[in-house]
Amino acid sequence: MPPLGPPPPLSPVLLAGFLVRPLPPILLQPVLDLAMMAIRRRHPGLFERFSDIQNPLLVIDPVDLPLVFRLDADPLSPRLSAVRDAGDLSASATIRGPLLTLMELLEGRIDGDGLFFSRELSIEGDTEVVVALRNAIDSVEIDIIGDVLSLLGPLAGPSRNAVGVAQGLFDRAARDLQSLRAAVIAPALSQGEFQAARLRDLEDKVDAAARRPARRPAQKGGRR
Amino acid sequence: MGGGLAAAKLTMGPVLFNWAPEKLRDFYFRLADEAAVDSVCVGEVVCSKRTPFFVPYVAEVTGRLERAGKEVIHSTLALVMTGRELTQLAETAGSADLLVEANDISAHALLAGRRHVIGPLVNVYNEGTLKTLAGRGAFRVCLASELPAPTLAVLGRAGLAELEVQIFGRLPLALSARCYHARAKGLTKDNCQYVCAADPDGMAVETLDGKPFLAVNGTQTLSHTYCNRLGELQALEAMGIRHFRLSPQDVDMVAVAGVVRGLLDGVESVADAQGRLADLAGGVPFSNGFFHGREGVRFVDPALP
Amino acid sequence: MSAPLELVCPAGTPAALRAAVNAGADSVYLGFRDETNARNFPGLNFSRSELAEGIRFAHDHGARVLVAINTFPEAGNSGPWHRAVDSAADLGADAVILADIGLMDYAQRVHPQLRRHLSVQAAASNPEAIRFYHQAFGIKRVVLPRVLTVAEITALNAQVPVETEIFVFGGLCVMAEGRCQLSSYATGVSPNKDGACSPASHVRYVDHGGKMISKLGDYTINTFAEGEPAGYPTLCKGRFSTCGRVSYLFEEPTSLNVLHLLPELAKAGVRALKIEGRQRGRAYVAKVVAAFRLAVDAAARGEPVPETALGALAEGGRQTTGVYEKVWR
Repeated sequence: MPPLGPPPPLSPVLLAGFLVRPLPPILLQPVLDLAMMAIRRRHPGLFERFSDIQNPLLVIDPVDLPLVFRLDADPLSPRLSAVRDAGDLSASATIRGPLLTLMELLEGRIDGDGLFFSRELSIEGDTEVVVALRNAIDSVEIDIIGDVLSLLGPLAGPSRNAVGVAQGLFDRAARDLQSLRAAVIAPALSQGEFQAARLRDLEDKVDAAARRPARRPAQKGGRR
Repeated sequence: MGGGLAAAKLTMGPVLFNWAPEKLRDFYFRLADEAAVDSVCVGEVVCSKRTPFFVPYVAEVTGRLERAGKEVIHSTLALVMTGRELTQLAETAGSADLLVEANDISAHALLAGRRHVIGPLVNVYNEGTLKTLAGRGAFRVCLASELPAPTLAVLGRAGLAELEVQIFGRLPLALSARCYHARAKGLTKDNCQYVCAADPDGMAVETLDGKPFLAVNGTQTLSHTYCNRLGELQALEAMGIRHFRLSPQDVDMVAVAGVVRGLLDGVESVADAQGRLADLAGGVPFSNGFFHGREGVRFVDPALP
Repeated sequence: MSAPLELVCPAGTPAALRAAVNAGADSVYLGFRDETNARNFPGLNFSRSELAEGIRFAHDHGARVLVAINTFPEAGNSGPWHRAVDSAADLGADAVILADIGLMDYAQRVHPQLRRHLSVQAAASNPEAIRFYHQAFGIKRVVLPRVLTVAEITALNAQVPVETEIFVFGGLCVMAEGRCQLSSYATGVSPNKDGACSPASHVRYVDHGGKMISKLGDYTINTFAEGEPAGYPTLCKGRFSTCGRVSYLFEEPTSLNVLHLLPELAKAGVRALKIEGRQRGRAYVAKVVAAFRLAVDAAARGEPVPETALGALAEGGRQTTGVYEKVWR
């Protein structure tokens, strides 16, 4: 059990709901860093599977979110980040699909090829990178919530900010289960623009906190 | 060119397509009378349903070839599935006076302990396999088309058997239990009406963007391009490969053999030979990519850096 | 009541191996992360330590591990293939699955106690070929190429001194396996030499106004209208034009599924049933293995085979009994 109290009642649906909120991408960074750290710690062999791939830079595009994820799957310093759109990213490949589908895929609970056959999932660009990603995440049993929670206990000082931010966001998400669930289905995304100005303000405030985890020693010396 | 190439031998491979029996007979008669080839393969390789039609001509054809001094090689079926096919194969393999080419490992098994040839449709990729087969009587091996130069060089150096490679004609790419000629015409293999006979050079297969790509020959799939290794003959010879196979297409194969022989004997330059071969090929593009470790479809000019 | 047929299941990753064993696999087949096996795909397959762990897990749960070393060693560079056989033997694999004659000779000489199976890549399609591999290299089991009908398999089993294993689900080669150079011709990457057919490195999917175009190297293999079920861009499952007509000349995008033929296959005398799909995810493995576990056990008890809907896992959303029924040819 994590020592920071009982785990919030998170489920992939809830996390999806949390993500689907029209948050500025920068707010997600601490959570994404945490998730990556958790995955790397629990599944050290995962990114090794990219060692033969040149420039393993992927865009993961949940079609029902107003943002995309950028995964730099460099075996030595993998990094996941969220951006508004993929326009200026020189990704080698893009994977597109509904967020929940992508989450299920991440956790190996659904057959990626079957989704591709049924056209629920589409891919573009360097197919080799996509196949490597699929095989890599499928090679381990990722349980994204469990993996993240497993980190909350033994974390050292520098990561507490990330944990704090993440925990805060999780807690907020947990308080609001119903509306989040609705958000998955409803076009709450369209409110994104409306809320953008207010959120930009918030974005500035957490900017500092959000950047700190990105400079953790574990991630130093990797990418330019 | 040097004396090494002049000593090289030419083999006319088996006719892979469903030619009318009389056309096939006349093809062999002309080879016997006119062609500058040393060995000639006779026998059905692709589809056992075609076999009976040529049976009445086999003795006549092989007799004339032998009288003309050609080495006659009896090629056998590549994909042996039914009891009937196996019985037929055992009959051929059991004729002690025939030189037989195995195109399926079962033929090699039946020929074990006797001098025989391994055809290009049996997988010999390395010296370990070559050694095993040679030890069981395979004195000559025609290697698979996809082997690149470094592999050919290693096998040549091994000196375990006489080696042969295809240097002209469509590349045999795949075999199936299913007949694609029949399927394309809405028929099945059992009820095929021998529709493959309509395409003596294979049925053209194009991609969706209209690029010529493959040629279907019943249950076999071949390249659209004609393999052309005229530019690689010297390199092949230097590797210790002394037998060159022409795979019959529906073009003047006697003339094709003449071009290659002229090049081997040093009476014709590579450039001239290439030009004459292109005329004979009637616009079908050439390929030699496999030799150069590239896509088989590609034509690499060996003169270029 | 008869002994259930052995269920041989694919694992491209350690997680898939655990999923297969947990879902009821009798055996799991897998390969090393290199060109020594016919599913040499990016990010797939096992390191030595993953294999050691996988074998431990499988054995603890009463399952066997078969290591596929079923490509053809490169002349002058047999090292990787020999080491693969050595590792399989050293780590306690229950069998190796081989296709190359030279490699069989090596395995027999150096590791005589290591059980040897003949890969489908060796394309042993008749009793004479099978007897050869048995007599020359002590092959104990042959994975039959996908060219034979159930009737032909029955006849064959009566004539051979070895166990046979046949494919029952998943992707199907329509060409005789191990004897196909189509991929090599178009991409330069060879199933026999490099262990990959229609490799991902040469595949591109292009969105064209909702229409998806799949390309392999320089060639357009297929186009799928919006919402139309898709398939892999393998050459033999593409659309081509012959005689002015566009069609699936070789085969539609489809998957083999002979779940309902299990009682017949048991009567045909086969020993083991193979599920294709080392390149598929563990969700696929878990679902297909569970369905076949139920079916195999029911068939062994003489009960009707429970059908499980597996269509969603099939290529192009389509399923076929393939060559097992003669009309396919």
